[in-house]
Amino acid sequence: MLTIQTVADVWSRHLMTIRTIEHLQMFSLALILSIIIGVSIGIFIYMKQRTANPVLNFLNIVETIPDLALIVLLLPILKLGAGPTIAACVLYSILPIARNTYTGLKGVDEQYTYVAEAIGLSPRETLLKVKIPMSLPLIAGGIRIALVFCMGVVTLGGLVAAGGLGTVLQNGIQLYQKDAILVAGLWTGILAVFLDSFAGMIEKKLQERYGTW
Amino acid sequence: MQSKRLFDRIDSIRFTGITKRYGNSFAVKDLDLEIKGGELLILIGPSGSGKTTTLRMINRMIEQDSGNVTINGLDTKDVDPVRLRRNIGYVIQNIGLFPHMTIGENIGLVPKLEGWEKKQQLERIKTLLNFVSLPPEMFMDRYPGQLSGGQQQRVGLARAMAMDPPLFLMDEPFGALDPILRKQLQKEFLKIKDEINRTIVFVTHDIEEALVLGDRIAIMNQAELVQVGPPEELIFNPANDLVADIVDTQRKFKHMDTLRVKDLMSPFENKYVLEGNTEVCDAVDEMTKREIENAFVFEGEKLLGEVTMVDLMKCKSKSQKLIDIARPIKTFQPKDSVAFALSELKNSGEYLAVVMNSGEPVGILVSDEVLLKLI
Amino acid sequence: MVVLETVLDATWEHVVLVYTTLFVSILVSIPLAFAALYSKKLELVVMKFANLVQAVPSFAVVAIMVPLLGIGFTPALVAIMLRALLPIVKNTYIGLTNVDPALIDYAEGVGLNQWQIHRYIRLPNAYPAMFAGIKFAGILANSIAVLTAFIGSGGLGEIIFQGLIGYNTNTLLSGAIPAIMLAIFIDLSFTILEKKVTPVHAGE
Ligand SMILES: Nc1ncnc2c1ncn2[C@@H]1O[C@H](COP(=O)(O)OP(=O)(O)OP(=O)(O)O)[C@@H](O)[C@H]1O
Ligand SMILES: [Mg+2]
Repeated sequence: MLTIQTVADVWSRHLMTIRTIEHLQMFSLALILSIIIGVSIGIFIYMKQRTANPVLNFLNIVETIPDLALIVLLLPILKLGAGPTIAACVLYSILPIARNTYTGLKGVDEQYTYVAEAIGLSPRETLLKVKIPMSLPLIAGGIRIALVFCMGVVTLGGLVAAGGLGTVLQNGIQLYQKDAILVAGLWTGILAVFLDSFAGMIEKKLQERYGTW
Repeated sequence: MQSKRLFDRIDSIRFTGITKRYGNSFAVKDLDLEIKGGELLILIGPSGSGKTTTLRMINRMIEQDSGNVTINGLDTKDVDPVRLRRNIGYVIQNIGLFPHMTIGENIGLVPKLEGWEKKQQLERIKTLLNFVSLPPEMFMDRYPGQLSGGQQQRVGLARAMAMDPPLFLMDEPFGALDPILRKQLQKEFLKIKDEINRTIVFVTHDIEEALVLGDRIAIMNQAELVQVGPPEELIFNPANDLVADIVDTQRKFKHMDTLRVKDLMSPFENKYVLEGNTEVCDAVDEMTKREIENAFVFEGEKLLGEVTMVDLMKCKSKSQKLIDIARPIKTFQPKDSVAFALSELKNSGEYLAVVMNSGEPVGILVSDEVLLKLI
Repeated sequence: MVVLETVLDATWEHVVLVYTTLFVSILVSIPLAFAALYSKKLELVVMKFANLVQAVPSFAVVAIMVPLLGIGFTPALVAIMLRALLPIVKNTYIGLTNVDPALIDYAEGVGLNQWQIHRYIRLPNAYPAMFAGIKFAGILANSIAVLTAFIGSGGLGEIIFQGLIGYNTNTLLSGAIPAIMLAIFIDLSFTILEKKVTPVHAGE
């Protein structure tokens, strides 16, 4: 159905190299922000246990909002362009990362925190040297979920002038160019699956290295 | 970061009027106790009698409700707990080696936090591993999960020694090990204890361990101290029935002449068997996997002798065969008298023997130091 | 300006699309999950392959429908199903397999046949996991249904896309807000249902 010729055609006509770069730029920026914010919130609600339930419940509600609707809600605030898309990515990704960080920290076996205390680690050192490293497999699991979310939302960005591969899909559908849709759709899918598998590998490595359960 | 040591040696640790409650019940009640510098004091008593609580009040893991703990006259309440703990070695039953750190990192953690230089840390780690009979080049980069229970326990001890603390707190350090392994580690620990010559507070459930290791023994019951004194005093002058019961030597003693080896031996298990032509290297791996520290070397049906993990790891050439280094071991018959067997062991300075019945191993006899004292 | 009637119509279209897909997905999922009990291959597809596919962005799935099935309600339904099916099958399968083997032994012992074991032991045991899967699928369906308006499914997404063309904030919000309210409604209603079917002791 698709010949190499058509793929090459579509690729150059729709500037797919540039679109892919845009796509990955938005994606990485969103993911990095998500990790920083998500892990921080996870640690915060772990240290202030009373805030954990309200915060997680709130984030759960954010999670149910349709992605496109969320982007649209952010449009008036952040204007057209990559802003709303990246912000939506981050909003979605905070929950899995924060939740997993929190669960990971809470799940560290008491015997280890106990020993850490006994050999003279301060609470801060216990957090940094023992609890966080031991939670890494779970945190990585959360990041992997966030990665999938971000890929999804970044692709939607094409609909609100954020650029990226979604733009190609949008143009393809609007101009009813089947080849363009197929090429861009498959490429976006492959990219996402590849990144997800890669993250899965890292997660497994961490599990072997740091996992105790 | 490098903090000045709180104390370089212990002159005394004093509990005065210590009470700790949980809700309405006492975990420790009105405890007065002095631990002398350089001694090994055992805390022993029924489960829930307050041993662990007492131990943890020394390094402020638990804060007492009333009373004072002083170390060299210094009230622990006036000391930063983190500083205090870095000056006290701590070993527990489930060891708690951090699974995400290598053996080296586990041991070097506190020195690193204290801002030691890399080289200095490494040197310390190596010294300590050698000290507990684990060749550093072989174990430093392994993860705790790759070690046997006995090896982990040694690392736990090495970690506690990292800052060269003048005081050790040990909460049933050998409690989770099987009897033969425990015996081996106790024996090594006795040697180490004399070498390091530190003050040690040691909690145990095992009266034999207490009698063998302890300079003095404190018996606790229902949150109260019942009696404290050297082993002989407890055996010959028990303060009450409970002490007599814990020390329990009377009963064994009475039956001494009727006891046979078969009454005292543990059953022989195949995991203790290694073939004579096994190479030392393979033997170490195999013994780690089987979680044993001692093995008996056979050639076919024939018992050649015994090897211990410590011997194997000291061995220079790793390609040597067990047949070359196995040490001869005593054997007894099931019907031999215990008195005879134990004194034989004592004379030869060994603590393990194989019990053979018509050419076949049926049991392992571990020397009973307590009985020995009474023979 | 958007007329209230338009919003209500679009909401109705949206609801129809979401619940039709959800209903069809459930109908397809349950036999699939049971089949996975009998076929290792199918199990592998459900448990491993499905996870990979789940990583594909929804927009890509929706877009690919166009060259394959054209535009309109049906391609939208298929696109949503492709995403909604997997969480349900997977969760149902996990629920079906997480039965205490002793319970199955006992059931066989008292003379229940295969069908009865499935119906009276495995299925009820799978309800909590199944409903968790359905809830997740419902929220996902609601979310993708906004997007499928782009390939002519109608629904609340259509209002949003109209708002995007003229960049009219009021129009945008009159599409987005009902969609969000629907999402919260689905979440709440399934959470309540989930509680109803979950035995008290498994409530943790
Ligand atoms: N955190 C706690 N909360 C409530 N009660 C406690 C707590 N810690 C200890 N206790 C109680 O205090 C008493 C003494 O406990 P402790 O751990 O000192 O006993 P132990 O002699 O070490 O026992 P074991 O031999 O079982 O280790 C027990 O009755 C125990 O149940
Ligand atoms: Mg205890």
